[in-house]
Amino acid sequence: MNWNKEGDENTALDRVFRAYRDACPDPEASANFMPELWRRIEERQRSVFFLGRWARAFVTAAAVLSMAMAAYLYIPHSRTSVFSMESYVEALAAGHAQDAQDLIEPAMDEL
Amino acid sequence: MLVDFEVIKRAQTGDSAAFNEVVLAYRKRTLGTIARLISRPEDVEDVAQEVFLRLYFSLDQLRTAEVFEPWLYRLTVNAAYDYLRKHRRRMESRMSDLSEQQVMLADAAAGGRVDHEVRQRRQITETVDAMLSAVSEADRILLTLKEVEGLSLKELENIYKVNENALKVRLFRARQRVLKAFGEAGKEASVEGTAKAEA
Repeated sequence: MNWNKEGDENTALDRVFRAYRDACPDPEASANFMPELWRRIEERQRSVFFLGRWARAFVTAAAVLSMAMAAYLYIPHSRTSVFSMESYVEALAAGHAQDAQDLIEPAMDEL
Repeated sequence: MLVDFEVIKRAQTGDSAAFNEVVLAYRKRTLGTIARLISRPEDVEDVAQEVFLRLYFSLDQLRTAEVFEPWLYRLTVNAAYDYLRKHRRRMESRMSDLSEQQVMLADAAAGGRVDHEVRQRRQITETVDAMLSAVSEADRILLTLKEVEGLSLKELENIYKVNENALKVRLFRARQRVLKAFGEAGKEASVEGTAKAEA
């Protein structure tokens, strides 16, 4: 086929597209089309169902864990806890009680 | 519309008989569009099933009857686009794996089996396929919908959700690229013809 001799390329291109349309008629579906489609639908439904269940389980576990963490942080703990409810200055003063006394109390002059 | 909107509404509620009716009404047309979009007869049914699968799981989002057909076209276009993108490399390697001699032998063997009309059809399909390979998958689909499927700009606007001017520009550019490939194919054909004549 010598396209250059066909004249206007655009017209020739349109003709080729038309010929292509005629060369490719709508095909008939095979007998297996619908059963295979429903098999794929059911397969997808199943995977969506399992994914949904897994997501729900994950959300529930996350919620339970969050609540447990919140409870742990908000319930007052005993003094033996490694965490102190005192401020930094209070803790420092308590740790050096003896030193503080020396500084605050007036010196005793030995007579 | 090839089916009443009532049928689609019933399918939306999970009525499988209604969904079957929708599929049966649009199956042939969808298969034809996909066949022309991907040019691979062996994979047409697979892509069509993917279209109806996506339709099944997104049907509940449909609100009005008039958007159903553009919507189905969009699903078809998206599935064809996914297929073409996924298979481009595979098809290229498949073709490059064949030596020239193997191609000639295959052609000669096929030539003996198929009649003239079938051969002509195959030739035109291969020519268009080769030309459309010169443009991107998106342009290939757009050109096929416009030039082969015969959709109007208005219909394409509904499918692509872009304005007419943008579509015209894209179509023009895609057409220019195809024309370039078309010219090159013509030159190659004439060179081959001259060589054969000289031989």
